[in-house]
Amino acid sequence: MSDGTDRREFLKRIGIGVGVAAVCGQAAASLRSLVPNVSYDAPTTVKLGPPAEFPDGMKFLPEQRLFVFREGRIFHAISAVCTHLGCTVRAEALSHQEVRTVGASEVKLTHRFLCPCHGSRYEGDGTNVAGPAPKPLAWYELSVAPDDGQLVVDLAKPVDHGFRLTIA
Amino acid sequence: MAISPDQPEHRTPSAPGVHPRPGWSVTPASDREAGDAVVSNFLFHWFPARALKDSLTWRYSLWLGTITTALLALLVASGMPLLFLHVPSVERAYGSVKDIENVVTFGAWIRSIHRLSAHLMVAMVFLHLARVFLTGAYKNGVGRGQHREWNWVIGVVMFLLTLFLSFTGYLLPWDQLAYWAVTVGTNIASAVPLVGAQVRELMLGGRAIDQPTLTRFETLHVIVLPAVLGVLFAYHMWRIRKDGGLASADRAALLPAKAPVPGEAGRTKTYTLLGLARGQGPLIRSASLERPDTTVNAVPDLTRRISIVMLGTVAVLSILAVFVRSPLEEPANALVTPNPAKAPWYFLWLQEIVTDTTIRIGSFTVNGAFVGGVLLPGLLVALMVAWPWLDRSPAAAAGRWFPRSRRTQNIVFLVLVAVVVLLTLIGTFVRGPYWRMYWPWQGWPEMPTRF
Repeated sequence: MSDGTDRREFLKRIGIGVGVAAVCGQAAASLRSLVPNVSYDAPTTVKLGPPAEFPDGMKFLPEQRLFVFREGRIFHAISAVCTHLGCTVRAEALSHQEVRTVGASEVKLTHRFLCPCHGSRYEGDGTNVAGPAPKPLAWYELSVAPDDGQLVVDLAKPVDHGFRLTIA
Repeated sequence: MAISPDQPEHRTPSAPGVHPRPGWSVTPASDREAGDAVVSNFLFHWFPARALKDSLTWRYSLWLGTITTALLALLVASGMPLLFLHVPSVERAYGSVKDIENVVTFGAWIRSIHRLSAHLMVAMVFLHLARVFLTGAYKNGVGRGQHREWNWVIGVVMFLLTLFLSFTGYLLPWDQLAYWAVTVGTNIASAVPLVGAQVRELMLGGRAIDQPTLTRFETLHVIVLPAVLGVLFAYHMWRIRKDGGLASADRAALLPAKAPVPGEAGRTKTYTLLGLARGQGPLIRSASLERPDTTVNAVPDLTRRISIVMLGTVAVLSILAVFVRSPLEEPANALVTPNPAKAPWYFLWLQEIVTDTTIRIGSFTVNGAFVGGVLLPGLLVALMVAWPWLDRSPAAAAGRWFPRSRRTQNIVFLVLVAVVVLLTLIGTFVRGPYWRMYWPWQGWPEMPTRF
């Protein structure tokens, strides 16, 4: 810093640097404002109604994009969201039913699931068997609401395929 | 309009720099009047005073860029009334589009022009890109300071912007088509490694397609993307002038002059009329370019052709829009995925790829959404961007259709295009419910609307 040009050059660079930093800071702030801090999405824990209202077999709940299965007092729930690109799969009743051991217990396979977007196919327990789907349909945790005894699903809590809810 | 320089002017200026008469003429009587038009008219100022005949031929450029410009102008013009009429709210967007379609006077026609122009623009931008590739027009020729490769990169970016503009416009009617196309599209974005979920959330403004998504897509569609496209378009045009005009000009410069140009040998200039500003470019100032019979005045020869192409495009679209109605499906329903759920035609090849590219290696699975939706298109775009630097063919191959030295790369390009076209055709005509294959003459089985 012995002569004036050095100081001038130094100040010029600081000036440009501060200008660039200011513009970048404002750009970053503008972009950050677009990242939502509050989610107004539907809650992930949903009451589905009294267990007695579910028929034996399968019931599709379009709002939750969920299949709820009932065999007597035993319930389980499988997601209808295709694991490929998120379209809603459709259930197709099977002409002959099959009993398979899934997890620790047996499950009656009454349907299979087909995706209209890219043709993925899943078996009745959600296992992906054809098409581009990379993994099985999710199973979600079911429970009974302590206050009014309704069936409750937690769409944020996938469970393994051995999960069953048995209602006393 | 080639007038020899020694022909007397109609009126001589009273002083240097003072034009003989204000304004300009579409039918100039002299070279000077023709030049005045370019200087004094705002819309003409981006043209050179004189243009090469070779650049103006129909069969070289096919005028695809000009057609695209006309379509963009039509899109802006037809978008304005739609912007006044469309209500960007989840509850009312569908109803407002239905009103445009059925209640507003000329509404269906305006919407049809907007939609058809958008579809055609995607096609024309792509054809323009294909023309530039096949003629090697991204190659630098003989002029100094040329950077055609960067104009090609700008063009690729504008192509992607056009696709993104189409995609964002797709959601605005808020019908079934819109909702599920955006579901699939944004889920492809979430297949990007590491940041995918955040990218999707940023696009949607939440975790589900809702009001924030509509607001974001609307803003992108009417403000952000057109503004970026407009700036890039201006730069695209400016670069053509900086690079010495179309690539066919370089080719013309290499051709030997048919006859010596009288009195031209001793002339020196620091620029040429074709717009090469940087460096003197001795080769581009070859005698063949300076000959009066190889160039014509931009006004009216260039402007006349541009008018024909632009007015022709507007006429075709206006008439087409009378006969082709725009579809509007049922209102968006998050509860029911339509069967089959098809993307717009220019994304169908991608939909085919994401269907076919889920890879399983043992227990390890790679989602087709990543391979077909991110990796393959990303590679294609990267390849397109990098191509001018990979192309080692000689400069003489620039500005010619199918030169021998570029035969292999042209064939590879055409094969890739053919694959994309084939996948698009399969997606359009062969895919039915549950994305199964049905021949066009086979009926689709009756599908229940709910399971």
